[in-house]
Amino acid sequence: MENKEPIIEFQQVDLSFGSTKVLNKIDLALDAGKFYTLLGPSGSGKSTILKLISGQLQADSGEILFEGQRINHLPAEKRRVNTVFQNYALFPNMNVFDNVAFGPKLKGLSKDEVRLKVETMLSLVKLADFSNREINELSGGQQQRVAIARALANDPEVLLLDEPLSALDYKLRKDMQQELRTIQKRLGITFVFVTHDQEEALAMSDWIFVMNDGVIQQNGTPEDIYDEPINHFVADFIGESNIVKGIMKSDYLVHFVGKDFINVDAGMRPEERVEVVIRPEDLDLTTIENGKLVVTIEDQSFRGDFYEITAQDDDGNQWQVQATNSATIGERVGLTFDPEDIHIMRFNESENDFDARLERYEE
Amino acid sequence: MLKNKTAHLYLMVLFTLLYAPIFFLVLYSFNAGTTMQGWQGFTWNHYQELFSDYHLIEIVLDTLILALLSALIATIVGTVGALVINRQKNRVWKNTLLSLNNVLLVSPDVIIGASLLILFTVCGFSLGFVSTLFAHIAFSIPIVVLMILPRLQEMSHSLIDAAKDLGANDQQVLSQVTLPYISPGVLAGFFMAFTYSLDDFAVTFFVTGNGFTTLSVEIYSRARQGVSLEINALSTIMFLVSIILVLFYYLINQRANRQRKNKLTKIVLPGERE
Repeated sequence: MENKEPIIEFQQVDLSFGSTKVLNKIDLALDAGKFYTLLGPSGSGKSTILKLISGQLQADSGEILFEGQRINHLPAEKRRVNTVFQNYALFPNMNVFDNVAFGPKLKGLSKDEVRLKVETMLSLVKLADFSNREINELSGGQQQRVAIARALANDPEVLLLDEPLSALDYKLRKDMQQELRTIQKRLGITFVFVTHDQEEALAMSDWIFVMNDGVIQQNGTPEDIYDEPINHFVADFIGESNIVKGIMKSDYLVHFVGKDFINVDAGMRPEERVEVVIRPEDLDLTTIENGKLVVTIEDQSFRGDFYEITAQDDDGNQWQVQATNSATIGERVGLTFDPEDIHIMRFNESENDFDARLERYEE
Repeated sequence: MLKNKTAHLYLMVLFTLLYAPIFFLVLYSFNAGTTMQGWQGFTWNHYQELFSDYHLIEIVLDTLILALLSALIATIVGTVGALVINRQKNRVWKNTLLSLNNVLLVSPDVIIGASLLILFTVCGFSLGFVSTLFAHIAFSIPIVVLMILPRLQEMSHSLIDAAKDLGANDQQVLSQVTLPYISPGVLAGFFMAFTYSLDDFAVTFFVTGNGFTTLSVEIYSRARQGVSLEINALSTIMFLVSIILVLFYYLINQRANRQRKNKLTKIVLPGERE
């Protein structure tokens, strides 16, 4: 963490629509110049956070700060943030140039300044020759680019992107992910990106907030969140996971599927009931004698660079395995993994407790 | 093929029936006689008579000014009304406003005319140009509202959010985003109001006083003494003007379409699907 004031800060922010609690005591701090992602299923409150930052919604209680100044009731048009809307929200009665020029013109820039700004922004999104086009003549991907150029033309400190890639096809989405990342690095401003696509979040972000039911479940770097999910929801939502029930016998010793395993987690109560996570790519097929687990292969499908294998152990637990070698359905094989591949999750552990525990035993 | 022929025949009969009276009227505007009974040779007399009838020309001008003015005011009031109705969050209240608007549209002209007449007399308002203007504005507003509301309803709220996001205040949102978006509806509303005002007989009949009259009321009162062929000449000119207007409109539309088509050659970015 840098020793700078965060550009955006939420303190204990609450919001309800009628009797539905949309956000529950949200705390977050965003540093300038980073790429943040709010990740969660629909209805988790991630777009609501975006609307609170942009000023489309007002918080019921709590503080929203911009560079240390309270902006709870500052109207949207006075905030130094701009939004790329999910449906692009381009003005249909204006052409590409006028859409991008909308913000700069309102700011009272001269004609030449406006033209320069629009040209710079359009070339940034690779639409330099499109300024005279009408909006309805553009494809979805092109409209997307115009929406980004229009938002950036206002020189925002923070760019908010509300699921901007969800309407694009797979290949175009991949390209745009990279391009957005490049644009963010080039401009050096803060991006807050909302998505329900965990792959997208892992690929693009410096820092991810995983949300569910109006609560931030976990935040951290993509690696942290993937490797050390805090609870069942995060483990399940981010990537594929094998989750089984277990008991922490003592520090560095966990019991699950009827056996004791050495692992790298500590700091729990003795005999504490926990959940055990092992990622499918960390499991390897081996012989029954060498296997830490013995399973029966149930299903297998070829995925190009690996085989997706479903297997069942003798206790009836399902195991997902990503293996480089193929197996035979019905065959009994061993599964092996390293102690550091076992990740332990405590029930109802808060993020603060989780971080504190990690720090304690990692020292 | 047979089906096609029947359809053509049907349309021909239909249009003949529709246009025959007008053709008949135009033809007799050149009749040397003084009635529509029997053709007595060609003459421009009725046109000469028409152009020297300053009273009638004055009425034509009055009617046009009335239509323009009432349509203009009704468009402004109706646009504001549509914006207000559309902004209502309370559904019951919104539907009530809408129903009140629609009731005015379907209620008979005679009733509107009579009630306005009663209103004006009770208030001691003298009948004349101003009373007629008020009456025309009154029955045009619901039409304008009805033309504009659908455009407003189909407009996505995210456009307003986007405009605010980019720094527009409420007034700028209205003038630069909302109004341009609904402008086709506003224009249509204006023209509807204009033609309704030109057309109207029933309401106008009640609220025109002694000094002021419109074309429809004037033609009606003249017709009671037997239609002079001067009226035929006037109708012919009005018919011609409307044909020219329709042609003009058609040409503008054609040109707009062609421009649109020329622009439609898209450039597709690499890796992008149409």
